Amino acid sequence: MRTLIVLLAWSAVAAFEAGAPRQAFPYAYDQHDFPNGLRLISIPTDYPNVVSLFIVMQTGSRNEMEPGKTGFAHLFEHMMFRGTPTFPPAEYENAMRQAGAASNAYTTDDFTAYHTTFSKEDLETVLRLEADRFQNLAYTPEVFKTETLAVLGEYNKNSANPLQKLYEALRDTAFDRHTYKHQTMGFLKDVQNMPNQYDYSRLFFERYYRPEYATIVVAGDIAPAAVRALVEKYFGEWKPGDYRPQIPAEPAQQGARTVHVVWPSPTLAWLAVAFHGPAYSDEQTDLAALNLISYLGFSESSELYRKLVIQEQKVDMLRASCPNHVDPNLFTVMARLKKTGDLDAVRDDVLETLAGFRTNPVAAERLDQVKRRLRYSFALGLNNSEAIAGTVAQFVALRRTPETINRLFEMYDRITPEEIQRVARKYLVDENRTIATLSGGKAQ
Amino acid sequence: MKTARMAMLVTAICGAAAAAGPKVVELPGKSPLVTIRLVFLTGAACDPADKPGVAELTAAMLARGGTREMSYKQIVDALFPMAASVTEQTDKEMIVFSGTTHIDNLEAYYKIFREMLLDPGWRKEDFARLRDDTVNYLRVTLRGNNDEELGKEVLYNQIYAGLPYGHENHGTASAIEEMTIADLQAFYRAQFTQGNLIIGLAGGYPAAFPSRVKADFAKLPAGPPAALHLPEPQPERGIRMTMIEKDTRSVAYSIGFPLNVKRGDPDYPALLVAQSYFGQHRESGGRLFERMRQARGLNYGDYAYLEYFPRGMMQFEPDPNLARRQQIFQIWIRPVEPPTAQFALRLALFEFDKLVKDGLSEESFERTRTFLTKYVNLLTKTADAKLGYSIDSQYYGIPEYNGYLKSSLAKLTREDVNRAIRKHLGATGMDIVVVAKNCAELESKLLSGEPSPMTYNSPKPQEVLDEDKIVERWKIDLKPEAVRIVPVEKVFE
Repeated sequence: MRTLIVLLAWSAVAAFEAGAPRQAFPYAYDQHDFPNGLRLISIPTDYPNVVSLFIVMQTGSRNEMEPGKTGFAHLFEHMMFRGTPTFPPAEYENAMRQAGAASNAYTTDDFTAYHTTFSKEDLETVLRLEADRFQNLAYTPEVFKTETLAVLGEYNKNSANPLQKLYEALRDTAFDRHTYKHQTMGFLKDVQNMPNQYDYSRLFFERYYRPEYATIVVAGDIAPAAVRALVEKYFGEWKPGDYRPQIPAEPAQQGARTVHVVWPSPTLAWLAVAFHGPAYSDEQTDLAALNLISYLGFSESSELYRKLVIQEQKVDMLRASCPNHVDPNLFTVMARLKKTGDLDAVRDDVLETLAGFRTNPVAAERLDQVKRRLRYSFALGLNNSEAIAGTVAQFVALRRTPETINRLFEMYDRITPEEIQRVARKYLVDENRTIATLSGGKAQ
Repeated sequence: MKTARMAMLVTAICGAAAAAGPKVVELPGKSPLVTIRLVFLTGAACDPADKPGVAELTAAMLARGGTREMSYKQIVDALFPMAASVTEQTDKEMIVFSGTTHIDNLEAYYKIFREMLLDPGWRKEDFARLRDDTVNYLRVTLRGNNDEELGKEVLYNQIYAGLPYGHENHGTASAIEEMTIADLQAFYRAQFTQGNLIIGLAGGYPAAFPSRVKADFAKLPAGPPAALHLPEPQPERGIRMTMIEKDTRSVAYSIGFPLNVKRGDPDYPALLVAQSYFGQHRESGGRLFERMRQARGLNYGDYAYLEYFPRGMMQFEPDPNLARRQQIFQIWIRPVEPPTAQFALRLALFEFDKLVKDGLSEESFERTRTFLTKYVNLLTKTADAKLGYSIDSQYYGIPEYNGYLKSSLAKLTREDVNRAIRKHLGATGMDIVVVAKNCAELESKLLSGEPSPMTYNSPKPQEVLDEDKIVERWKIDLKPEAVRIVPVEKVFE
């Protein structure tokens, strides 16, 4: 058993004062490992009465290696609300309602998070309910089949948005082997076949719903020692497993790729220019540097935004992202165009901007602006206990400790214009690129 | 089709009451973050009849355009390192400009914020960009990419047709395309007055900051608060249905009728309990959710509302400062597979009928009341939300929302709730908006009244099957003349 108590905490003000220590994550926290592999992170905040609990399972659509099983991590998130022998769904719901709790869950490529926000006096009730379902989930094949239809309903409501289709095509084209080839929602044919996969759902639970895959984050009006005692009481008997997934590695891309999607009804055209990037790291600067490039080149303060959105007004949305992932994922520039006929011109502008990062170092002053932006943006986001727990949840899914946030921001501070150029030359190159476009059809 | 309420077309009169200065709502605290919310008590309900959307476009021009001194690009560049922005939200009776900044940047941020509202640049290139954005929002984002929000907005348009609330806040695409900067300036001069303004401040701002903001905004015209005349929409008799024909995978429903109860009215807490029991937003404990999704797998979720709640598919809690004097009771049925569309609608109406006839059991009442008493804390978990709710409370003339709701709930009885349900939800009719492909086929099924038996992919409990026998024949009071099919390209035009 191992406990780490980070004692102090800078106020969010101190994080910006000249000469002051620059901890990006400003809260003290208690990090504790239980013998079964479960980790608990308790974060007292100064927001009164409310507590937010996130249970982060390090399994997501990345773990869907078997053919025909896309979308399964997300389906399983749904199944977790289908009850146990002690608390069938109706009783679970009743108990949560008695606690005035807002409870939900979401699934990503890399993890699944179950979150509940409630009044502090109900902490024990909520932990007892959560511990029960994580250890004793039970559902019949009939209930399983019914829930698969709710997942199909979710697919249906998403399907009205052309961006979903564009992302689906982009990933399918850019990846050959890694499970990032598919979106978390899964391919439609697999979603439609889910009712026949009851046995696999039990296997999924046995594999991944184990304490060594779980990190509990509790933030709010709490005393860490009391939280630890309650977690020990209710999660202490959770049995560890021994399954370790073999996620296929993505081979290096050998040449530029393109894909075009025709949307059946009128819509604005989309352009996505993507490159394979690195995995999340708080030690290697590559991903952090690419993230800085996404702001330098494509945020609202960028030169390209001025040209395409404000001046020429060819584009009404421009952004780039390089999200944190367990395995190497994509750096993607996205633009929505007012006229389909401008697709080639806007693509060339995007490529020219990217080429600029390869050929010239960025101005140091501009780089500092982006770094400041990232720090303030992060601080402004930590404005309530749920947001604090939710932010930490995303990072513990990668490194199981809030400390990775501080390491990441310290790394941002060290990145130089030369480092930006090195990373651009390494990743933002033609043979590593996939361009996906989408255009709308005619009115009926 | 015949609509009683079309005959009641009355022009809203915005502006005609006693002069007054801006009010200030203060929530000082120790946080290093400072939130500013400036709420103008005007909005889309004050759009002139021939300029639908002018309020929204004016607000956009202030929040996403330049000032006289700075171009929009200069503003964006200045705000970028602060990670700050000025956002606007326009609804029928409120336009809010809000933003949060770190205390380090308060001075620089506030200077820009102030100039954006008090000294707008009215540049033609900003106007062209924002006009395009608005048209694309209506035609692409709303009409093309989001069947659920589309259905909800059309429902409001339908219920308030011919009345000040009767158009989407962004207006119509054709009106926006013809709008001029002069139209926006005229709206700005008439509506952005001291009398219409509530200044909201929260966080660790300096003690002198509120009086400074108040003095700055005293530069606005001293005009009076808006006096908005809002004729009541007439309730439908039977069902009126608008079907939006669209190339889409599934069938989305929005159902509603005018509700003569708002926050602060005696029956509001009772109806809030009823609504939460029937369909608490994005929670799995509601009755509709349980019967439609959990028991039958018909869709992703089913909810009910007493107040306008846009963007519900993206967020769990409603945004504040969407206060309205007129609300509707709304049921949101998320998209269903086309073969089950008829049954799903029948089930929703069956459950609603049951709510009205049977009300809540003692157990359901107690459980829901307990839930709401605690859940209300979550609505104001950020300083920004707390500030927004405080401003709304001022609008509705009630005490601070949490206290108001908790004390009201404590006094409620089950009989209060069931009486309020019978009184306010026992509607003689309702509007239904459907977004679907092959509307004519669904229309003829709905009009035929033929049974719509369900088939499931797994065995179901006997009580569900027994209930299905009733639901599959549930009468939908729909007449051919009360149905209209509208191609999606015609919506918001």
